[in-house]
Amino acid sequence: MADPLHQFKIEKIIDLPDVTLPGLGQVDLAITNSHVAMTVAFAAIVLFLTAVTSKAQIVPGRLQVVGEGVFGLIDNLTDSIIGHEGRKLFPFVFTIFTLILGMNFLGLMLAFTATSQIAVTATFGVLTIGLVLIIGFAKHGLGFFKLFVPSGVPWVLLPVIVLIEFASFLLRPVTLTLRLFGNMMGGHVALKVFAGFVAAAVIGQIGLLGIPVGILSIGMVTALTALEFLVAFLQAFVFAVLTCIYLNDVVNLGHGH
Amino acid sequence: MADPTQSAPAVSTHGAGASPAPGATHEASGAEHGSGGLPQFEFQHWGGQIAYLLVLFAILYVLIARVFTPRMRAVIDERASRIAGALEAARQVQAEALEQSRAAAAEVAEARARSQALAFDARAKANAEAAERSAVEEAKLASHLAEAETRIQGLRDSAMASVGAVAGETAQAIIQKLTGKAASAADLKAATALSGGAA
Repeated sequence: MADPLHQFKIEKIIDLPDVTLPGLGQVDLAITNSHVAMTVAFAAIVLFLTAVTSKAQIVPGRLQVVGEGVFGLIDNLTDSIIGHEGRKLFPFVFTIFTLILGMNFLGLMLAFTATSQIAVTATFGVLTIGLVLIIGFAKHGLGFFKLFVPSGVPWVLLPVIVLIEFASFLLRPVTLTLRLFGNMMGGHVALKVFAGFVAAAVIGQIGLLGIPVGILSIGMVTALTALEFLVAFLQAFVFAVLTCIYLNDVVNLGHGH
Repeated sequence: MADPTQSAPAVSTHGAGASPAPGATHEASGAEHGSGGLPQFEFQHWGGQIAYLLVLFAILYVLIARVFTPRMRAVIDERASRIAGALEAARQVQAEALEQSRAAAAEVAEARARSQALAFDARAKANAEAAERSAVEEAKLASHLAEAETRIQGLRDSAMASVGAVAGETAQAIIQKLTGKAASAADLKAATALSGGAA
């Protein structure tokens, strides 16, 4: 049976020489399967958005309805969570959402899922928290630290609360990273395991037992694939929602916190 | 899966690298990852992925912020304004229709009032004419009546006068018969005037 973790292995497709980048250090420029998956997702998003917006009409066609649905989904999100200033942050949230959604969906159709790489999900998480920090310090200066001091807390409890808030803030990029990574990786491992049972049954590795096991497993693979499509969308959406919530914390710091 | 007899060659091959034996691949790959854990934690691949993703993210962000979002917003805003305009126009037309219907109703009411006034006038005129006519008739009748009355009066007066004369003659004849001599005209006159006055 094939190793269910093998699908996550980075493989070089075209090896290019290493370069040293400032901040990142030694970087291997090789084009790997992860790069290819990211590029395909990126190209698919750009093509989709171009197709949707280039011939946009007042009375939308089918594709435009889908595009406007995705657009409206995130627009409502930024508007309802962040409020008036959500419009300025919409492109960021929309970029994150479409990239994650594209990679998640492509992972179900291609052999490689970019969002099952911690390097990729961590980049998204750090980008989000980085923007939160930038907006926080740019808008409020040192007042940003009020984020860790909820109003209306008895002063006796304050040190504890501040510690908890600070820790939870530090964990935000980690949870963002691991939630997406874990969901995508777990789903694909489960798919691969059941698919492996099917393969083992088909080549007769487990004898007559293969008939019930194969049938059950292929049913599981079908059901899991449907579930994974839901998870793929949901995780991208959850990431966008959390991004909005974290951004809202600093954009509207002090009121309604 | 792999029975114990197969595991021995698998262990021996894993040092040499990938083996084409189907039973051995699992063992070999398992051993490969056994020490390092998940392939996601092979940090030598992180830099390239992160840098590439950042580049893709930046390009997509710029495209979305500069191209796709404005286009999408333009279409959505235009649609919203078009719908708002159509609604406004419909509302205007409705108001116009309401205004027209109100004007028509007012016109009908006015016409009705006018016709009522006309009818009232006509009735009043007819009444007045009838009253005038009846007054004329009445006057004519009254004059006829008065005329008849005066005639009757005249007739009665003349009759009364002739009654006086007849009474005088009768009285003279009676006096002639009784006394043998004619009574004087003055006496007669006094006597008939007395009786005439009494009568």
